[in-house]
Amino acid sequence: MKRYSAVRQAAAISFLLVCFVCPSLSHAIPAFARMYQTSCSTCHSDFPKLNDFGKAFKDAGFKFPADDETFLKIPATMLGAPAQKDLFPKAIWPGTIPGIPPIGLRFNTFFQKTSGNRGNFDALVPAGTPAPFIPKTDFSSGLFSIFAAGNFGSDIAFWVDQDFNVGGDNTAGGMGDGYLRFVNLGRVFKLPKDALHLRAGRFELDLPFSQARNINLSDYDIYDQANIGQLAFGPQQNVNNQFTMIDAMNGIELSGGHQYGGYHYSIALVNQNTSGLNQPDNSSGFVPSVAGFASDANFKDIYGRVSYRFNLEQDPASRNAVQAAGATGPRDHTYLNLGTYYFYGRSVTRFSGQDLAATPVVLTARQPFYRTGADFSFNYRTFNIYGLVMYGHDVNQVPVDATGTPLALPLDPAGPLPVGFVRGAPAAFTGGFIQADYLIHPWLMAIMRWDAVNSGPDRLNGLVLNTDTPFALPFRSTRNRFTPGMQFLIHANIKASFEYQIRPQQFVTVVTNPITGAPAALNPFRTNTIVVALEYVF
Amino acid sequence: MKSNYLFVVVALALIAQACFAGSVKGKVTPGKSVVYLEAAAPQMADKTVTMDQKGLLFQPHVMVIQTGTTVDFLNSDKVQHNVFWPNISGDKKKSHNMGTWPQGQKRPFKFTEPGVVTLLCNVHPEMAGYIIVSPSPYFAETGADGDYNLANVPDGQYTITAWHEGKKVQSKKITVSGNSTADFTLQ
Repeated sequence: MKRYSAVRQAAAISFLLVCFVCPSLSHAIPAFARMYQTSCSTCHSDFPKLNDFGKAFKDAGFKFPADDETFLKIPATMLGAPAQKDLFPKAIWPGTIPGIPPIGLRFNTFFQKTSGNRGNFDALVPAGTPAPFIPKTDFSSGLFSIFAAGNFGSDIAFWVDQDFNVGGDNTAGGMGDGYLRFVNLGRVFKLPKDALHLRAGRFELDLPFSQARNINLSDYDIYDQANIGQLAFGPQQNVNNQFTMIDAMNGIELSGGHQYGGYHYSIALVNQNTSGLNQPDNSSGFVPSVAGFASDANFKDIYGRVSYRFNLEQDPASRNAVQAAGATGPRDHTYLNLGTYYFYGRSVTRFSGQDLAATPVVLTARQPFYRTGADFSFNYRTFNIYGLVMYGHDVNQVPVDATGTPLALPLDPAGPLPVGFVRGAPAAFTGGFIQADYLIHPWLMAIMRWDAVNSGPDRLNGLVLNTDTPFALPFRSTRNRFTPGMQFLIHANIKASFEYQIRPQQFVTVVTNPITGAPAALNPFRTNTIVVALEYVF
Repeated sequence: MKSNYLFVVVALALIAQACFAGSVKGKVTPGKSVVYLEAAAPQMADKTVTMDQKGLLFQPHVMVIQTGTTVDFLNSDKVQHNVFWPNISGDKKKSHNMGTWPQGQKRPFKFTEPGVVTLLCNVHPEMAGYIIVSPSPYFAETGADGDYNLANVPDGQYTITAWHEGKKVQSKKITVSGNSTADFTLQ
């Protein structure tokens, strides 16, 4: 139980810290540049953002959509002559591996300057307690990762990446994604081309806008949003759901269609992991596992997405091609993409309790939750505006004692034991983002972005940290910022990025209005941040 | 009788050219270069050749043509390509963009201005090809050893130019009378 309480406190503090430094993860694939002897910009408009050709390349299983072998400058290594197919099942089905190790490396480094008001948050910790130190200026190494991707023949694509270092000196990274993708599996069932693909392993959900290929220096706030129930100030919520949309998921995914035009769908079954990324492996000595199986429960979470992209060129040939045929050369389509998504899972909390006969039992609350929303993307030549909205909802099952009275959280060890749960007010949040990218030159990208997350529990939990100096009391928005930025490609594989995060006004000093009796905030301030990054892949 | 006269005239003309025509030989360092002569006025050819885009490459990588030649730009790839050149011998006013066309189709362009044309594709920035437009029919591509031989060049004053990818173009005046020599070391 202590761990449970500590996790909630840590989550609330983490929420404040996450607002400051949160370099995002992203990848471009130098291995493909080597194998095809082509530039990064064949697939990326401003790496790692994919252009239409890059989307088609990814859809096809990291291959050129047609005649792939004619473009390979380093031919694949045969793992069996094609004629071996005729011998199947008396021979292994022949495949290939890339002719060179398809490995890429990525590194980035950051510089940050935070406005002078950053020290005001020291007031949020009890007197005499060291507050998290936020330097005015600071350098930091960011991500160093290795990744490999390619195709094994028979339309089987692979991906694996490992982060050696993440967000700071000698900071342990970990496994990123790793999966096999069986492209156009529907041909086995005589389905239309590309109607069915299967992906298995560890992967980012098929989000409307990938965080892994996000060009921004900071994550989309809504993707980072966990749902921690209200700890104080009103009815408490027994919700401690650490799940966020950008968590890497273990599971399988069925998908179909294309990202560069027409329909696209995906549906995934993934492990339940609502305890955060670093939960311990299942460790029963009686049922030893061969790998680090670490689900919260038998239940598998479900994610689904449907979208349709309308390419708006008048000429049918151009409209249906991978890239539009412009007057001065191929380019991304002018398009409108509309989509929706839904994630359903269950969050688990357990208590030592008793039944009505006072026999000790473990009480388990399996609290359904969902995240849903809609998204759009409109592209005109080199201008792209896109965004999404999200609604998050967690059922709240509050522990009650034998009289049916809700128990205060965290449970008092000397108090009555819970015997069951009653449904309380759900923990919910809303939010989203809108971003506009304008590629002024092939090497220069201008960005404007607005992030918003509205979470009552987050706001109220801020008060728990120090009830004498309420934080952000008058606001319903817990995270709300404008982020203009510029990015410069020094080379196709080297990028300098600039981001200015303009946060809303916040308060740490609140007094009671002597006339109205309502709380009034004093000394509002902003903690804006400038982040500069250098990044390269090779 | 008329045809006999004509035969004699042609024969004399050929003999005269043989007597008053020479050759220009030499060596260009490094090899794999292009050499051409420039006379007083450009001489137009009436030919058509093909520059292919295949496997994300311009094929051939270097092509030498005479002014007046039409080049058919062919797309043999199952990806879209584009062809443009940002200048001809540095003259940005002579830039041109050929647009987009699908696999199997080609678009012609007649080169009437001499110079070096650097071909690019605006979706595959690693692609580059070169068309060297010679103002005369006297041009040659050297081998790897850099040796060249321009034969049957009428005697006279010329400007001889040597080009190699990535090197600075060099030109020099030359008087052709019999066998002449011009060596280049391109930097």
